[in-house]
Amino acid sequence: MTSTAGTVPVVDPGDPGAPGEPDALVDVAASGRRRGRTAYLLMAPAVLWLALFFVIPFYSLIAASLYDPSGSDEDGWRMAYAFGNYVDAWQDYWQPFVRSIAYGGIATVICLVLGYVLAYAIAFKTGRWKTLVLVLVIAPFFTSFLVRTLSWQLILADDGWVVDVLRFLQLLDDDGRLLATDVAVVTGLAYNFLPFMVLPLFASLDKIDHRLIEASSDLYSNPVVGFFKVTWPLSLPGVVSGTLLTFIPAAGDYINAQLLGNTNTRVVGSVIEAQFTDANQPYVAGALSMTLMVVIVGMVLVYVRRAGTEELL
Amino acid sequence: MSLRVEAGVEAADGTAYDGLRLRALTKRFASFTAVRGIDLDVPRGSFFALLGPSGCGKTTTLRMVAGLDAPTSGTIELAGKDITGAKPYRRPVNTVFQNYALFPHLDIFENVAFGLRRRKVDGVDKKVAEMLALVELDAQARKKPAQLSGGQQQRVALARALINEPEVLLLDEPLGALDLKLRRSMQIELKRIQMDVGLTFVHVTHDQEEAMTMADTVAVMNGGLIEQMGSPAELYENPRSTFVANFLGQSNLIEGRVTGRSADEVTVDMHGIGVSVPVGRAHTDGQQGWVGIRPEKVLIGDAGSKLDAPGNTIPGGVVSDVSFVGVSTQYLVRMPWGQELMVFAQNTGRDKIFRHGDPVELSWRPEYAFLLDHSQDVRAGAQEDG
Amino acid sequence: MIQPHQPARRSTLSRRGLLRGGGAVAFAGLSAAALKLPFFSIDGVAVEAAECVAPDVSESQRELIISNWTGYIDPRRAEDSTMSRFQDETGISVTYNVDVNDNAEFYAKVRNQLGACEPIDRDMIILTDWMAARMINLGWIQPLDRANVPNLHANLIPALRGVNWDPELDYHAPWQSGLTGIAYNAAEVGEVGSFEELLTRSDLKGRITLLSEMADTMGFMLKVVGADPEEFDDDDWANAMDRLRQVVADGQLRQFAGNNYLQQLSQGSIVACEAWSGDVIQAQFENPDLKFVAPEEGLALWSDNMMVPNQATHQANAEAWIDFYYRPDIAAKLAAWVNFICPVQGAREEMEAIDPSLVDNPLIFPDDDMLANTWDFMALSDEQQQRYEGEWADVTAG
Repeated sequence: MTSTAGTVPVVDPGDPGAPGEPDALVDVAASGRRRGRTAYLLMAPAVLWLALFFVIPFYSLIAASLYDPSGSDEDGWRMAYAFGNYVDAWQDYWQPFVRSIAYGGIATVICLVLGYVLAYAIAFKTGRWKTLVLVLVIAPFFTSFLVRTLSWQLILADDGWVVDVLRFLQLLDDDGRLLATDVAVVTGLAYNFLPFMVLPLFASLDKIDHRLIEASSDLYSNPVVGFFKVTWPLSLPGVVSGTLLTFIPAAGDYINAQLLGNTNTRVVGSVIEAQFTDANQPYVAGALSMTLMVVIVGMVLVYVRRAGTEELL
Repeated sequence: MSLRVEAGVEAADGTAYDGLRLRALTKRFASFTAVRGIDLDVPRGSFFALLGPSGCGKTTTLRMVAGLDAPTSGTIELAGKDITGAKPYRRPVNTVFQNYALFPHLDIFENVAFGLRRRKVDGVDKKVAEMLALVELDAQARKKPAQLSGGQQQRVALARALINEPEVLLLDEPLGALDLKLRRSMQIELKRIQMDVGLTFVHVTHDQEEAMTMADTVAVMNGGLIEQMGSPAELYENPRSTFVANFLGQSNLIEGRVTGRSADEVTVDMHGIGVSVPVGRAHTDGQQGWVGIRPEKVLIGDAGSKLDAPGNTIPGGVVSDVSFVGVSTQYLVRMPWGQELMVFAQNTGRDKIFRHGDPVELSWRPEYAFLLDHSQDVRAGAQEDG
Repeated sequence: MIQPHQPARRSTLSRRGLLRGGGAVAFAGLSAAALKLPFFSIDGVAVEAAECVAPDVSESQRELIISNWTGYIDPRRAEDSTMSRFQDETGISVTYNVDVNDNAEFYAKVRNQLGACEPIDRDMIILTDWMAARMINLGWIQPLDRANVPNLHANLIPALRGVNWDPELDYHAPWQSGLTGIAYNAAEVGEVGSFEELLTRSDLKGRITLLSEMADTMGFMLKVVGADPEEFDDDDWANAMDRLRQVVADGQLRQFAGNNYLQQLSQGSIVACEAWSGDVIQAQFENPDLKFVAPEEGLALWSDNMMVPNQATHQANAEAWIDFYYRPDIAAKLAAWVNFICPVQGAREEMEAIDPSLVDNPLIFPDDDMLANTWDFMALSDEQQQRYEGEWADVTAG
């Protein structure tokens, strides 16, 4: 996304152009073939890996989504090209589906706001503490995702201090709660995926030439205008990759909804899990998985095109 | 000096000055002092150069004028208004940054329009088109900066600043990244543009030739202080310090003892040879001094010959090096006291070309010599590459 | 009555204490694996147990490989632990895996092998009754040799005999058993005497949980709508599901819980819940305000059952294990640690010597009155299981 800078040809009138010697061209072709073989060899493990752990499961997922729904584990599952599974799955589960997208979207916005401020501070204000602060941002990754989410159960518990404070401030009714609410789910998502937002944002902000900000200030931009006209557009590659890295897993996540939500915060990931394991209806799970994937890929494509990141640098 | 009637024109000291005026301007960083209380007047409409080696404080001075660094003490006044504490975006000052600092996400047109749009000026399109025409970039308006050559980027940077018609245009080593040939042509173009638009230019550079080519007035900075200020010819012909003598062009500096002072001239004993220096060119009150003479002012002839330079004649030299450079011949002549003096002789065709080992005598007119303070470092400001 | 020395020897994790979520993390990988290749159409996984028998090498290889739930045995490495004693007495060396976190997850893990008559490298697995019934039905389980497990047939408590899915104990032997009832926090709320109350009392609104195991909760829901969980039809089921959906829609329910519901109960986040007896006993050591109630509707009696899967190579050793743990002294020692209902008659008498405080604990040794009012969930066909679990998941997955 940010690599186009290197490929833009810089016009240099002094350069007479590379001399094209025929011998050299032959050599290039020969070494090209050798390089080709090496490249294939080097790529082989990755291709094999992808084939084993992405293409084949993906294929079987598509197959599962089209099974005859009257099958069972006991009798087996027959391929019936039952595209109606998709319609049925959507009709039954559009609500958790929409909820997943909404939770993921809200969490992403929260992450963007918090993450941008954090990344900005790290990039421009921390000086020699930069590395340390970055390590602190990544530190939660050293513990398991599950443990981190479980700890939010304690933080948001009805008798925890967060609830106490909010009740004291009258921001929460006396019998109000945080745990097992939408708020808790979104909070958990935002917490868990914040580093995915901060790191690309930091990478983008950190490489902004400080003189550009001085130049904007010299050209009559107060700090706020300068931010929106220079810093923000230059950080857009980080914003785009950060939001994608946050939104995609957040929309598919169900651990937060399961551990921090209630019976009315069900997300599509929970449905898929339950349909695969407990309910043993792989065709529903398959159809929902495929739909989720298509929707997310579609949203990402539209988003990337709208953000116009390919023209940023 | 035109009379301009504006609110706030009156400066604190009561005199209205319509140019840029720095008073006791000082900048201290945590570990060193970059600028040590300089006073400077830049007349309105002039092309002013701040010349000095890297680390001399010239860029810091420029940044304080731009508002990018806050002075530790002292004042900055522009057209009679004190702008010492003003935010950079509130100053009628624009900067052409070193390496240009063009906005990579905006095309050339928008880069140039940036300042106008921020000030919500009318007729942006027309003004930008005119400005791009002035710097001959009309055809590149929709390209991104990375698609332009260095020289083109430089002109964008200039256009982006100029279009705002600032009271003062600051140029921070604007040609530093260009190759020599391009730099020469851009120097001429910059000077042309400055004369066209009539704005005040303050140009920071470490290139003495660039400063002398372009500027009306040059201030030579060294160690956070202004060593000397004046027109290029004044600085060159009558340097007041060994630093200026060496940094602007080259000088022969010969140790001497003051033997007498009259109303017109100072006489100096230079290793047993008496020479004189006009009073206006003697910049020391001490008993000792450095007699300075530019190499091209020194005449060279056979020992005992009569040279066309009444005044100071120094016999007993031996040619120790000869470089023929076409337009002139550059000699090194070893003097009896061991010092090698530089002599540049024009190839007019009248004079013979000496060879290594030839005994010669040197001579110069007293009005070309200058006398500098003996306490100054004789090598100050000398460039490594000579 | 609580002895001060007791908490120290309690296992801190209940046998269901590990998250369903923990298993769910692995689900993506498992589910991909569960979809057998090649992809078009998948054969059924039902097999004939008689055709999936491996030669028993128990005589020559004195080994036994077990899969069980976490925290479901007394500390194994202790010198006088039940497992040490088993190994000393029989010379069988036991590999004891705590790799069962969740019935459905374990099913998914072994589905491909057992469905294709392939070994899973286990001689004994321990699963809850409804899953045990399902696996037996699919032909995945080897029958036990009655002659090798006399203690089982002699000592199993009557309440656990005659289950409809394996009435003659041909395939299973209960490891531990438990009751599903109601727990409440007496510091927060008055006694909750029935499931009906749990689902309707306004002072409990939003502050209760139900268990996420279908058989547990739906048994009560069936009772609440007047049906019999041991014998019901699709209409009864539909009524019970409607009632459950109503409860969810009303916001009476905070969550379906599979794990730390008792922690929440103890903290006051919830004030009452559907609960497993063994969990309550362990939690009571920490917080005496927690009470377990046998609801008016009765109690669900469930068991986790030892079974020998197809292609096991040490069946006789597994049977030796079963017989050993059906000795009352061994059963009592185990019960003193795990606190679930001990399925072995005579263990109560043995308990006198081990921990007299537990002898009269009705949640370890329930009296006949208590057991008179229990049910076990109707055995479901695979088709029913799938349909009901699907509907259940629709309501509960959260």
